[in-house]
Amino acid sequence: MVQIQFYSLLRLLLKQEKLELPAVENETVGQLLDRAQQSIDTPFLDKMLDCDGQLHAGTIILINRYNIRHLDMLDSKVSDGDVVAFFPPGAGG
Amino acid sequence: MENRYSRQLLHWGQEKQQKIETAVMLVAGVGGLGATVAQLLVRAGVGKIYLVDDGFVDAPDLNRQLLYSEEDIGSSKLMLACDRLRRINSSVEINPLSGSIDSDFSLPADVQIVADCLDNYLSRFQLEAAIPDETYLVHAGLQGEEGQVLTLQKGRSQLLRQFYAGAEQPDGPIPVTGDTATVIAGLMCNELFALIDGQPKLLNRCLVVSLSDFHISFLDI
Repeated sequence: MVQIQFYSLLRLLLKQEKLELPAVENETVGQLLDRAQQSIDTPFLDKMLDCDGQLHAGTIILINRYNIRHLDMLDSKVSDGDVVAFFPPGAGG
Repeated sequence: MENRYSRQLLHWGQEKQQKIETAVMLVAGVGGLGATVAQLLVRAGVGKIYLVDDGFVDAPDLNRQLLYSEEDIGSSKLMLACDRLRRINSSVEINPLSGSIDSDFSLPADVQIVADCLDNYLSRFQLEAAIPDETYLVHAGLQGEEGQVLTLQKGRSQLLRQFYAGAEQPDGPIPVTGDTATVIAGLMCNELFALIDGQPKLLNRCLVVSLSDFHISFLDI
């Protein structure tokens, strides 16, 4: 299984903190996002991706604690047992 | 003022109080978070505090920046904060650091803990770059009714700029209210006091707070 964690405004939008999906061999985090949206009633990909399918600057995606921008972005591979976190941080102070 | 700390001593005891009174900290930014964080640190009796902020008080600051009032508009936050904080607790050594947090910023050598109360990613990353290894950085941020607090140790933790890679400052003013800023500042101080006591609760663990539904969660990094 892959555990997906939603934080902050995404958690509020989706009304859930976590989602578990069966792992799929060679799946990327971008493909996992598509699968996550299909299993949730509320569309949320538009909050995270622009119209070209590129990641918005407002949301961080971590795979096992590491930002995917240090991996292969949306092409980063996700494996059985991984924890994927979606976090839109507060920027102000 | 022998009994000024009597109420907190009942809670955390003399040993922790002594650690607080010998702590040396930097509060970076004395705006929505920092004005409250600095005030709580000073009231608790932290030994020495450095402050840095190159901003001036503006009318939109007054909804949440608790050290300032209407007659302060246009004045330096740094100078006002130092003055107000010294009046609150004259036993605390309060040192203003002039200038901005940029690539030339350097941290005073005796600072043990840095409180990131800044309001933009670029300054946060530049502050982090100026911190020597082993120094603790307590970061907080907020937006609307959401906020986060996180402790990192330079050289041992992920860098804040790695964690926040790709995060960009939103266009225009960020929505911020006084209640959320004060709650996040209070949580940040709780972590700062725990860290001074050698027992941080948020080391490599981001506390994510939603006042929208009074929810908290943790994000391990």
